[in-house]
Amino acid sequence: MGFHPRERLNPFIFLKKKGVHVSFYFNMIQLTHVSKTYPSQISALSDVTLEISAGEFAFITGPSGSGKTTLLRILYCAERPTTGEVVVNGIHITQKGFRRIYQLRRTMGIVFQDFKLLRDRTVGENIAFALEVTGHSPKEVRKKVSEILNRVGLQAREEDSILSLSAGEQQRVAIARALVNNPPLLLADEPTGNLDDPMTVEVIQILTELHHRGTTIVFTTHDTDLILRYPYRVIHLRSGRRVENSA
Amino acid sequence: MLFFLRFVMRRAFQNMKGNLLPNLTTIAIIGISMLIFSSFSLIAFNLTSFLKAWEEKIEIIAYMKKGVALSEVEGLLKKIRRFEGVEAVNYVSSYDAMAFMEMKLGHQKNLLDGIQPGILPSSFEIRLMRDFRNTNSIKGIITQLRQLPQIDEIQYGQEWVETFLTLVHLFRITQWVLGGLILMGIIFITFNTLQLTISSRKEEIEIMHILGASPSFIQVPFYVEGLIQGLVGTGLAILFLFYLHYEVLLYKVLFLYITPSMKEWLAGVPILFLPPEKIVLVILGGMVLGFFGSFAASMRFLKYRV
Repeated sequence: MGFHPRERLNPFIFLKKKGVHVSFYFNMIQLTHVSKTYPSQISALSDVTLEISAGEFAFITGPSGSGKTTLLRILYCAERPTTGEVVVNGIHITQKGFRRIYQLRRTMGIVFQDFKLLRDRTVGENIAFALEVTGHSPKEVRKKVSEILNRVGLQAREEDSILSLSAGEQQRVAIARALVNNPPLLLADEPTGNLDDPMTVEVIQILTELHHRGTTIVFTTHDTDLILRYPYRVIHLRSGRRVENSA
Repeated sequence: MLFFLRFVMRRAFQNMKGNLLPNLTTIAIIGISMLIFSSFSLIAFNLTSFLKAWEEKIEIIAYMKKGVALSEVEGLLKKIRRFEGVEAVNYVSSYDAMAFMEMKLGHQKNLLDGIQPGILPSSFEIRLMRDFRNTNSIKGIITQLRQLPQIDEIQYGQEWVETFLTLVHLFRITQWVLGGLILMGIIFITFNTLQLTISSRKEEIEIMHILGASPSFIQVPFYVEGLIQGLVGTGLAILFLFYLHYEVLLYKVLFLYITPSMKEWLAGVPILFLPPEKIVLVILGGMVLGFFGSFAASMRFLKYRV
């Protein structure tokens, strides 16, 4: 219980020592014949195979109910696939007995359409929360919060309540929180779904900058106009199946 | 580790502050429950003390038949002194008995005018060794005394000692049956309060899962909450019981409502509060119960979602 220094600094070494299969692939994400069927017999994903390379920016698009969110939830272990193999950041998450989900989630940042921020806290406290739960000291927390707020352009809003921010600013806080632990992978589930056009552009600018620094980004959206504006890879889903892949 | 403990304590207090009314209600209910349990403990403790103190004073009085010659007294004294468990024997003649009665009656001793000392029987007051001041040993000595033809009647306060022992046993059984019900009640109430806390913190808990907080990081503050509820509730119960014991019982009830004869009866028998080791056990017990309630709630409602 608590924070073992090894846990905080290198989840891969920790997981390997615990017997979890860890391999160092060039692919950040690898899905092999993944299907997800719910107990009500609804098939959310059907035989999906795809790879996303480290450092790549990939849009996952499709209409509502196509399986975009389910696919993302499988990647951060909020769902388990019914069949198939999933490797994320070298960690075989579908391996039998894999339980250290919290270790996996420390290797990624996750951004949601509804931001999932703590409404009774300030901007700084929301970001600090991500550092506190991963065992950083108060000194480190203060330093990293300040750095990340500078990166997303919200340094002046550190003491402000989350409720006083616009939707775009809140999403920037959510992105800051997702990135404050420097994860190599960012999963974004319709992050611009609640934003207007200018705010959408702001958010994509931040993500583009991240991508240029080497972060792998998986961005789900049903907004076809958005994906046409940017030169990134697009993975199409329809009714739980992958229908085409264009780079 | 220190940072983890600080974070845990801060979150536990934050949780309690965020659900102040349910937490205060839980603490009050734990307090009342432990007050009832501790009161029974205190009464049982003092009853046991009384019993031990009276056991110290237990004497067997063997009354002699009328007409026993004085020459036989010496022989009887020697015989009784040789019984196993007898520490000392004192012969009380009729005259001694009359003088004792006059002393007890005080200024009402004129009630004895006209009564001949010879009417009172002579007796032997037999004091027992410490290890023999129990019902079985006393019965053994009495059996031997009954075999002496000069002995008429034997008294040792057997009825009230046995009744008192039965009362103490019944009291202890009631204490533990009640304790069992109180135990279940405390676990139930902390379980429910924690369920409310977890419910009100659902969003924060979900975010902690997403951010990669370990299960212990999420659960431990809730365990601490249960421990704090148990500690504060039981601590308040002990303090209130202490107040009742000293302020009310000792200074008001005992001095205002106890008759002089009862005071004499209680003379030398102190009415004590629970000893420190019992207080610590009661408080630890309250904390453990609070912990179990919160543990059960967190197991039920904080299952680490895939």
